[in-house]
Amino acid sequence: MKILVVDDSITMRRIIVNHLKQGGYNNVIEAGNGVEAISHMAGVDLLLTDWNMPVMDGLTLVKEIRKSPTFSSVPIIMITTEGAKAEVLEALKNGVNDYIVKPFSKGTLAEKIQKVME
Amino acid sequence: MEVQYINPFISAMNKTLETMLGILPKRGQPYLKNNKITEGDISGLIGFAEKNIIGSVAISFPQETALFVYEKMTGDKLTTLNRDVQDSIGELANIVAGSAKTILSGKGLSFHISIPTVIVGKNHHISHKAETPIVVIPFHLQDFTFIMEVTMKISKQLSD
Ligand SMILES: [Mg+2]
Repeated sequence: MKILVVDDSITMRRIIVNHLKQGGYNNVIEAGNGVEAISHMAGVDLLLTDWNMPVMDGLTLVKEIRKSPTFSSVPIIMITTEGAKAEVLEALKNGVNDYIVKPFSKGTLAEKIQKVME
Repeated sequence: MEVQYINPFISAMNKTLETMLGILPKRGQPYLKNNKITEGDISGLIGFAEKNIIGSVAISFPQETALFVYEKMTGDKLTTLNRDVQDSIGELANIVAGSAKTILSGKGLSFHISIPTVIVGKNHHISHKAETPIVVIPFHLQDFTFIMEVTMKISKQLSD
């Protein structure tokens, strides 16, 4: 399974990639914003994306993916500091499969991935 | 600035470090900041704004604390406050501000948070957004120390 991790923080990407590798997911690629993410979508089975990023934010990325003829069915988990109800609902409405609020544990990430990939 | 506005930031800091580092920090006695200079070697600053509210939160670390936190988060041992460490302090500030924002939004106080600014250097100056008093909250993280600075100007009361 190929996973694309999108976050403008290199630290957050490193944390997520470490968690994924410890969970046995070794095919992981990274992007620093939505535009970079779109150019790395080929063959991706799961997208993990931050919301607040420069150039193109995560919500815009989700909207772009969901209307793409090629990638519209790729599962997406949003991983963000935006924890207010209104924001969670907006993300879900726009096609996010699941939502993780930072800070999160390795266990939460593993659980959500399992649920989404079922 | 009242306790009800400070407490969400303390809860956010506790939750963030406990979840990300596996260490619950110990809080010291808060005090009002009385000069412009910050003790830390590296600081992350986030501003927030909305119609009824203006403010900012900063986290400021001595070098040894920042390197310890970085190692705990990523598993990598570094010796200088390089770009990766700067990024980690910015992201940590972002997560703490975001968690506090979530708690406050549940109390009817909504605002947007800015992208983090990271400042590095001895005795640097943190430019907080509001001109209101700055509350400094000292923390212990095992043998290490750091501080959080919060200032907020609110023209609306919280609902409970
Ligand atoms: Mg971000």
